[in-house]
Amino acid sequence: MLSNFLKSTILSKILVAVTGLLLVLFIVGHTLGNLLVYLGPNAINTYALGLKKLGALLWVVRGGLIFAVLIHIIATIRLTLYNKTAKPINYTVTGYITSTFSSRTMAIAGLTILFFVIYHLLHFTLGVTNPEFMKLETNLHGENVHDVFTMMITGFRNPLVSGFYILAVSFLGLHLNHGVKSLFHTLGIAGPIFTPMIAKISTVFAIVICGALISIPISVMLRIVGGAI
Amino acid sequence: MKLKLNIWRQKNAKTDGKMTSYQLNHVEEDMSFLEMLDILNEDLILKGDDPVAFDHDCREGICGACSMTINGTPHGPEKETTTCQLHMRKFKDGQTINIEPFRAKAFPVIKDLVVDRNAFDRIMQKGGYISVRTGQAQDANNIPISKKNADLAMDAAACIGCGACVAACPNGAAMLFVSAKVNQFALLPQGQIERKERVIGMVNQMEAEGFGACTNHFECEAACPKSISVKFIAKLNTEYLKATLTKNSF
Repeated sequence: MLSNFLKSTILSKILVAVTGLLLVLFIVGHTLGNLLVYLGPNAINTYALGLKKLGALLWVVRGGLIFAVLIHIIATIRLTLYNKTAKPINYTVTGYITSTFSSRTMAIAGLTILFFVIYHLLHFTLGVTNPEFMKLETNLHGENVHDVFTMMITGFRNPLVSGFYILAVSFLGLHLNHGVKSLFHTLGIAGPIFTPMIAKISTVFAIVICGALISIPISVMLRIVGGAI
Repeated sequence: MKLKLNIWRQKNAKTDGKMTSYQLNHVEEDMSFLEMLDILNEDLILKGDDPVAFDHDCREGICGACSMTINGTPHGPEKETTTCQLHMRKFKDGQTINIEPFRAKAFPVIKDLVVDRNAFDRIMQKGGYISVRTGQAQDANNIPISKKNADLAMDAAACIGCGACVAACPNGAAMLFVSAKVNQFALLPQGQIERKERVIGMVNQMEAEGFGACTNHFECEAACPKSISVKFIAKLNTEYLKATLTKNSF
């Protein structure tokens, strides 16, 4: 069934749209969770502990996300390479009217996000690049728990880490700007009122998500958050 | 007006082409774009040079024959206008105009600005028709069709099959063309019998011809001389998905 989907360009695009929608929902949840850093150590550590306590359910969600990411990447890489062969020669002067910087940089933005996500997981989730992060503990209501707050503050104090984060999240903003409106169109939801409206909503959504995420490393570096650490 | 033209010259399908510059010093602003090229060709013939080959037929904006990309935009800068209906008053005196053939792998160049658009005919052969007998003229009115669907089908049927959508698409996709042809039938009762076979057949042929996939740039709609809406592409996606999922062999 999946291979039948991947053989067709239209069905591949539908896979990209559905997995894209799942990833959009994830990014909304992840952003809201991360913003808890502004409420102090207890808020974000309680949230992190809550996620950990989901146990098997957390792994089901993670498994689903990994599957969605893989399908999203495989389908888009195949489509991008296919599309390149369909237009072997471009014009000497290009006269784009409606396509945007966002829509023309989906592949490069997507790949940047992919490399960032791999680093991000090695950095904060798996503790490969900074094993000391995994040993950080704090006392939360009498219980010794992983100190996610200190990990975020220490992590983002490194200007290189924050710089890469800001760059990748900017690309995420570009990707969402075209991706969100695009997924609705691919799934057949379109019309003279809806299509221009969702284009505007996509842009606002991309700016809000991008702004919220980028504000975190900036606030950490300016010591607005975690100034005592 | 005076114009500098950079035109793609290519002897035949097998040779490489290149942009060649020409100077025109006596262009009237009331000329159509094709008449301007006719003047250039008369000059070239008088000089013993090979005239620039370009497709044209009705010169009334309805046949879809004229096909060239002017300064990166298929059919040129004027919205909802074919090249034959584009007039030189839309350009400035002293302007440089780049004229290239429609670019896509599925539209190979035959000579200069002429491309082979037979791929569209082969797509049409896979379902761009109905086999039901529709009777005489008065019989058409005996089948009730909602105003909404009748209007939408007419909007889709406005496609003249010129290929500007493919030429404008950064992916060389023919989704706007195929979506218009599929939907003009899918929206009407006469098109229901072959509905599934039509969408599957036409989309599969579109892919076999090497047209790209849609990434929702919407350049096709902007370039379309008949302003076919991209909403038909959205409808084609669901039409194809439904047909594929309910097909026995899937």
